[in-house]
Amino acid sequence: MAITVLIVDDHPSFRASARMLLEAEGFEVVGEAPDGLSAIEAVHELQPQMVLLDVQLPDIDGFEVAARITANGAAPAVVLTSSRDVDDLGPLGESAQVRGFIPKSELSGAALEALL
Amino acid sequence: MPLRGVVASLGLFVGWGWVGTGLLAWSRDPENRVGMLMAATGFLWLLSLVGVSDIAILFTFGQVIGSLFFVTAVQMLLSAPDGHLHTTFERRLVASAYVLTLLVLPLYLFVDPQSAFDCDDCPDNVLLISANDTLVDVFGAGLDAAALTVVVVVFVVLIRRYRGAAGAERRLYGPLYLSGIALMVALVATVAVNAAATSSDAANVAWITAMALLGLMPYVFLAALARVRVLQGGAVGELISRLGEAPRPGELRDALADALSDPSLELVYWLPDSTRFVDGTGRPFALPKQGSGRAVAPVEREGETVAAIVYDTSLTGARDHVRAVGAAAALALENERLDAELRAKLEELRASRERMLRVGLEERRRLERNLHDGAQQRLVSLALSLRLARSKLRHDPTGAETLLAEAGHELDSALEELRELARGLHPAVLSERGLRTAIETLALRAPLPVRLGPVPSERLPEAIELAAYFVVSEALTNVAKYADATGATVSIERHNGRVVVAVADDGVGGADPARGSGLRGLADRMAVLEGRLEVESEPGKGTTVKASIPCA
Repeated sequence: MAITVLIVDDHPSFRASARMLLEAEGFEVVGEAPDGLSAIEAVHELQPQMVLLDVQLPDIDGFEVAARITANGAAPAVVLTSSRDVDDLGPLGESAQVRGFIPKSELSGAALEALL
Repeated sequence: MPLRGVVASLGLFVGWGWVGTGLLAWSRDPENRVGMLMAATGFLWLLSLVGVSDIAILFTFGQVIGSLFFVTAVQMLLSAPDGHLHTTFERRLVASAYVLTLLVLPLYLFVDPQSAFDCDDCPDNVLLISANDTLVDVFGAGLDAAALTVVVVVFVVLIRRYRGAAGAERRLYGPLYLSGIALMVALVATVAVNAAATSSDAANVAWITAMALLGLMPYVFLAALARVRVLQGGAVGELISRLGEAPRPGELRDALADALSDPSLELVYWLPDSTRFVDGTGRPFALPKQGSGRAVAPVEREGETVAAIVYDTSLTGARDHVRAVGAAAALALENERLDAELRAKLEELRASRERMLRVGLEERRRLERNLHDGAQQRLVSLALSLRLARSKLRHDPTGAETLLAEAGHELDSALEELRELARGLHPAVLSERGLRTAIETLALRAPLPVRLGPVPSERLPEAIELAAYFVVSEALTNVAKYADATGATVSIERHNGRVVVAVADDGVGGADPARGSGLRGLADRMAVLEGRLEVESEPGKGTTVKASIPCA
């Protein structure tokens, strides 16, 4: 069974590249969302196992989205990503469901699986 | 009849007193209607003297307009000190007095054979239609009641006015109000004596007293005027001696406030460069509107406006006194004007420096955003594509080739975006090849036809070239984004020690320079170079952005 993933990022070019990359490496990308609120909606609807979540979104930021979707027990695993360096972002949050951070340019199936 | 003789001889004394004093007051303060109304009262009074004529038509005319002078006198009293009736109530009061004299009184004359003078040898009343004693009684009683009401109300209003008057109003108009009050009392007494009908002698005494008071009013005013002149002359003299002690900042205002007995007085200074008034701290000052109770008296020195005195019209009184005080202080005001000008310049510099800092910060933020959203995202995608291509290289070489081709395009776009960003930071073509080529490049890159007018081919100071370049660049960007134009014209000309940059389009117009950070940013760049940015953009008539920068 392939792992189901939701990609959340406001740049369509990144969503397209990430989908291609992850699908080539055996993930099932069940959806994409361009902003925080539609991401929360998509999580409820699609029940993905993982959410690849950009930290900077046009409405509410990635940390806030992570806090909201991991609030109930059956939450997906969240992996934060950004084109910025992890040191520029500040603390990633305490939630056990937030598994870690992958810089956008280093995204790969293997990196994602390592955090699951 | 003795009464007609008395009226005729008293008449000239009363009439000319009012006319003369009125004209004097009017010439002294032409914008104030009090003087005019005073003169009008005198003229109407003199005109009503034809009522003593033996010729029937003149006699009748005299009866018709015979009371009009009283109404103008009331209007004058109520219009003091600034020449305007103050409340709707006062306006209605005066209006009903006019209606009473001009419309109702003539009706009375249609039925009264003898009219106001109870005499046998008076000429005929030519307005008489049919003598009717009943109507005479009814009209007479009605008119008397109405007139009495007006007189009593005016009496009350004048008492209030006298109590409320302060400063210059009290000094100049106080005696006039008092004599007005006395006149009203005498008129009420006349009506009362007439009603009691005890003896015609008593009625005549009351009437002559009233007329004597009326006749004295202008002289009372004249005396007050003379006293005020003396006081004002003293105030100007004292002001001059105070100015001799070289007042400190702020003291000049106090000195003028004392001289004009107006504690609310404000001094504003004229800046010829920016054609506006500023206060002592150099901040722009909005002059009071007409009818706000405050007036502005400009102060000139050697034909140039240097400052203006903003004063309370009810406190300071006549304009010529304010002017005299202003003239006495003109030199000191000129010195303070220079001070204020300096302060205004400093304030402008401070504001412009703050704007420059803000613009700089905003530009950095925008730059970070652009880098992050543009080139950086493309490079991220590129990295992912390359990683995917590498993994496909062995088992799917065709797929890998497609990915690599896409990566190539992505790289081209990223490079183009970086170039665009670099140009926004500093246009290399400008520093390397000069303004003309740089503007030509902008014109070529614009998405609509741009006609180039004159552009200097020689080099200008770098800051000016850069400012001119950004004006053209920003204006053309706006034309492409908002103007819906079919073409634009760009020209840069040197003219009278200034470089004038103009970008005009034939689009929809209606651009607002206050909105849009781009135009505001340009205005700030201009301010730093002491230049000006003007945007003409009437809806439907295209937009012209014009920048003018001093350049020796």
